[in-house]
Amino acid sequence: MKQLVKHRMMKTAALVILGAAMAGGSAVAADKWDGGDDLPTSPLACDAGPATAAAAKPYDGGQPTGAPDKAGKPITLVDVPKLIGIGYFNATSKGMQDAAKEIGNVKVTTDGPTEAKIDEQIKFIDNYITRGVDGILFAANDPVAITPVLKKALSKGIDVVGYDANSQPDARQWFINQAQFNGIAKAMVDAMAKEVGEDKGFAIVTSTFTTPNQARWIAEMSAYAAKCHPKLKWLETVEAQEDNVLSFNQATTLINKYGDKLSGLFGMTSVATPASAEAVTKAGLCGKLAVVGLATPNAMKPYVNAGCVKSVVLWNPVDLGYAATYVMRAVVDGKLKPGATSVDAGKLGKLNVINGSEILLGSPFIFTKDNIKDFDF
Amino acid sequence: MSTIVVSRLRPGEGGALRLFASQEALLAFAIVGIAILVGLYNPRFLATRNLGDIVLGNAYIAVAAIGMSMVIVSGNIDISVGSLIGVLATISGSLAVAGVPIILVWLTPLMVGILVMMLQGAVIAYLRIPAIVVTLGMLSILKGGLISVTGGRWITDLPQSFHLADIELFGILPMPVLIMVAATILAALWMRYSASGRAIFATGGNAEAARLCGVSPRRTVVMVFALHGLFAGIAALLFATQLKVIQSTVPPNLELTVITAAVVGGVSILGGVGTVVGSTLAAVLIAEIASALVFINVSPYWIHAVQGGLILVTVVADILRRQRRQVGE
Repeated sequence: MKQLVKHRMMKTAALVILGAAMAGGSAVAADKWDGGDDLPTSPLACDAGPATAAAAKPYDGGQPTGAPDKAGKPITLVDVPKLIGIGYFNATSKGMQDAAKEIGNVKVTTDGPTEAKIDEQIKFIDNYITRGVDGILFAANDPVAITPVLKKALSKGIDVVGYDANSQPDARQWFINQAQFNGIAKAMVDAMAKEVGEDKGFAIVTSTFTTPNQARWIAEMSAYAAKCHPKLKWLETVEAQEDNVLSFNQATTLINKYGDKLSGLFGMTSVATPASAEAVTKAGLCGKLAVVGLATPNAMKPYVNAGCVKSVVLWNPVDLGYAATYVMRAVVDGKLKPGATSVDAGKLGKLNVINGSEILLGSPFIFTKDNIKDFDF
Repeated sequence: MSTIVVSRLRPGEGGALRLFASQEALLAFAIVGIAILVGLYNPRFLATRNLGDIVLGNAYIAVAAIGMSMVIVSGNIDISVGSLIGVLATISGSLAVAGVPIILVWLTPLMVGILVMMLQGAVIAYLRIPAIVVTLGMLSILKGGLISVTGGRWITDLPQSFHLADIELFGILPMPVLIMVAATILAALWMRYSASGRAIFATGGNAEAARLCGVSPRRTVVMVFALHGLFAGIAALLFATQLKVIQSTVPPNLELTVITAAVVGGVSILGGVGTVVGSTLAAVLIAEIASALVFINVSPYWIHAVQGGLILVTVVADILRRQRRQVGE
């Protein structure tokens, strides 16, 4: 008899625990979106473009020693990306060639490792220093490991400008920053509000709550939405790591859980976005459930071409290479000096200097049905 | 009174009770129980779509767990299966993009899977190197090799005909579920009733005794690994053809999920005991819990804790069961 009572008590306890877990889970207040970090946010203005009037930071880049004055003279540049032969860096390389053709007195060659390996990349740069070039453009495989060889280039009077992936600031003169967290956040939230309407519910599929870039983007999105789209209703953030099938399963679960209450999904990684689009496709909700996310064009082409996804947010790598070449020419010509606040970059117009020695490419690029076919990465 | 209770729970007394206490029955009860509990909290959980999606999206894990169960029953372990599935998916996708006839695209991963696993089985059986060491080596080779060869590039632009997992038989029966159920039933029958199937249990239970009974433990291990490779190939196909992108990297922790399904399904880590019906049910249960956590708003971080808890409970229960049996004898 005693045993029976004990058994019953344990059963009750188990139910209470389960109930408490359920209640506790649902009672979490949602003043900030899950998956964002706790760092301060700086949401952009609701209507303005990419203008960033952040507190000016003094120039912290490096300077070449004894660089000969080549203002207005023809220069030869080498571009050493993380690796060659992939669509992304083919696109940056194309941008550089476009700019070189426009400017006229610039010659750029792209050369680099076939795998994204830092030791290989250092060898390539070292070889070009020995061979002699006027300037080096790079996208670093490792911000720290690449620093010595870039400093060596500076010490030989070679101009150094980075793009896509930075080195330590004093190892190069300038770095072209493709996108800031608050810029991406604004582009994402604006696209979502435009697609689903101002008062609809959405959910987020991210890698993990602690992945630095994703956490930063989500925090900035949360702040920007509170400021500019206050009626948009955040429902939930789920984790899917960088796992294709898990992302698909999580997105599917969200769709099944919320039904009509869910009008949009944000994909925070280049894995989560196509997987979310696939989940929406399989659920037969194309056109009814929007997917907005960060992704590369090739993975998104099937969904964009099918009309299931309207906005893929990223930056334009062709513009990135184009800007890097214009910046290098401006440095050589003495038009871009430490302390400058902007630089002229051909068809891209004036680009702003941020964070001391970085140049912001501009607003993120939105791939749509009309332009996605022009990209192959 | 207490003695009566204990003796009633002892296995081997009364067919109905034994069935009641079997691992498969427990898993089935758990699956239904969780469905009802979560359904009470959020009825949308019980929508046929959701239950179907849970099985559909995880069928490949259940298929891989069939082979894993055989390997563990034979007294071995394989931790390379996740990497192998990643490699096979990439091979299959690359062939599809290259325009190879679809039947070859689907068969090649099965053949390569069988070959790789047979090789490992042979090394384990004939060179007497522990399975954990051999498969750990293979894990590194496959993982590193895949990244080196593909450079992490994704496979996109897959032809429509490639997507085996999108096929629905008679317009309602999705291929992954069909394959999962068919593979489970065939493997279960084969393990239970065929001589070579029984040989797996004999080898895992007591290799020396098996040898005396005319079973070759070495050949059995090679056969088990070959079959495991076949199931890994099928799992890779379902995995690769589910989405329109193949990542060309090894799916994170996939081998752990597969091993968890096998162990929670009642396969004894000590070898000699286990069923593939149990491992398939366990794969469904784990997937159901993952979905349920989202439905009841529990942080997804808990899925790892839940999986770990399930493993511990099953393993402890297995050990206790064995001890009790020994005491009973």
